[in-house]
Amino acid sequence: MLEIRDIKTTYGKIAALKGVSLDIREGGLTCLLGPNGAGKTTLIWTISGILKAQSGSMKLAGEELAGLKPHQIVEKGVVTVPENRLVFPEMTVKDNLIVGAFSRRKAKGGVEEDLESVLDRFPRLRERANQEAGTLSGGEQQMLAVGRALMARPKILLMDEPSTGLAPIIVEEIFEIIGKLRDEGRTIFLVEQNANLALDYADHFYLLEQGHVTFGGQPGEVDHDELIARAYLGARKAS
Amino acid sequence: MIDFVQNTLDGLAIGSAYGLLALGFTLIFGVMRRLNMAFGPSILVGIFAGAWLHSHWSAGMIPVFLATLAGAVIASAYVERLSFAAIRGDAALASMASSFALWMQLEEAVARVFPQRTYAFPTFEGLPMLELGPLFLRPEYLVMFLTAAALVAGLQVILTRTLFGLHLRTLSDNREAARVSGVNVAQVALLTFLLAAAIGGVAGFLIAATDGQISTKLGMWATMKGLIAMVIGGLGSMRGALIGGLALGVVEAQAQWYLGASGREITTFALLFVALILLPVGLAGGAETGARAEAGRRL
Repeated sequence: MLEIRDIKTTYGKIAALKGVSLDIREGGLTCLLGPNGAGKTTLIWTISGILKAQSGSMKLAGEELAGLKPHQIVEKGVVTVPENRLVFPEMTVKDNLIVGAFSRRKAKGGVEEDLESVLDRFPRLRERANQEAGTLSGGEQQMLAVGRALMARPKILLMDEPSTGLAPIIVEEIFEIIGKLRDEGRTIFLVEQNANLALDYADHFYLLEQGHVTFGGQPGEVDHDELIARAYLGARKAS
Repeated sequence: MIDFVQNTLDGLAIGSAYGLLALGFTLIFGVMRRLNMAFGPSILVGIFAGAWLHSHWSAGMIPVFLATLAGAVIASAYVERLSFAAIRGDAALASMASSFALWMQLEEAVARVFPQRTYAFPTFEGLPMLELGPLFLRPEYLVMFLTAAALVAGLQVILTRTLFGLHLRTLSDNREAARVSGVNVAQVALLTFLLAAAIGGVAGFLIAATDGQISTKLGMWATMKGLIAMVIGGLGSMRGALIGGLALGVVEAQAQWYLGASGREITTFALLFVALILLPVGLAGGAETGARAEAGRRL
């Protein structure tokens, strides 16, 4: 569905992505693993248009995304759930969600219905619909960030480290939500440090190390222990 | 005592115009996290456009008002393109310095076209002085206060009831989140800038119509009053901008009465100094900054 070919992105003078190619397949969860500093978040920000790729292409069903502005990419249906949630802390939960529907204002209507369906999906957000988002717990903010992205009726959900800074029990809950979204047939690209948990849910995965994709496959095809060691530590076994 | 109350009344009226100037600054600062030093001089362009229409065509209040607004908005659009849209990302200081350069440019341009020291501006003639028991209320002060109140109410509706308002709030709340949520940041920033200019234009018109004469000093004057009121009220808070404006107006009116004109200027800066030391987040800034910090901790 989204074909990424030879993407190079620099951060200041540092080459963060040195030619990344991967495919995000329709109707499944593609997971990107890798140690800290491998360039995972850089890739998310590049796909969402906030960072500009130096070269390479990103084609959504054949249509080039590289060079578009962030809001145009959201309009195409590629929607990011950023790391650390990034909700609007001084706006109500409801307003946060309505913001998410901006991108499809041309296709009028349906905002109320979508709002209801998101609030049905996350009953805790319904309870707090008129509260300021800054008063929510970390887990609730994560739900809000997911809900906001769903309001855009995304073709692809890009999720950047949804487990960051959350208690383990909340992380389980967030992953159950992700699993449910996958089971509904949505296309999800998940960047995650918690390789163990991510591999339980992934249909497909890639390993990103030092700005390169060094491995791709399906969970179960490979020795998980070695993969996890590499994902966490960037360690390569001598072979 | 009567004097004190009378001064307070006058101060609140002038303060409402200061509040509008501070609101213009706050809108721009809230959305862009940058200061627009050329805000006052943009208003200056508008006021002189109005004065020109008045002296050449004997235009009435409404055409002069519209010309003032148009001049301020067009000058601001020029400032936005050159100092803000063209300077990207987090180069906040570069924007500020370049808007300072445009301040000089606009002021100089106005001074070239209008070489006299002062020019006449139409006033609200014929309105009767209002008496409230022992107190007097100048009719132009009442117009000033009511216009400011109506404008603030209108702004509140724009911010809470319209799509543009929601856009604007996302940008001032969390810029990165706004970008990933599909908000067209560049467009909203420009519209916010023009909205701020329109508010400033109204404030400039009211002030000029009250004084009945204008000079090229008005640009710097408006930037100073707006900035000071904004800082007293709390950077980035709309409520703070209004409170800061009203407080500044009242303190100035009292100082003018009890200390004279030079005492007024000293008092203004003393007020700014005290506000910065005692209330570095401003009169209304505390609560909001607190909520933001708390939200940050919860991450």
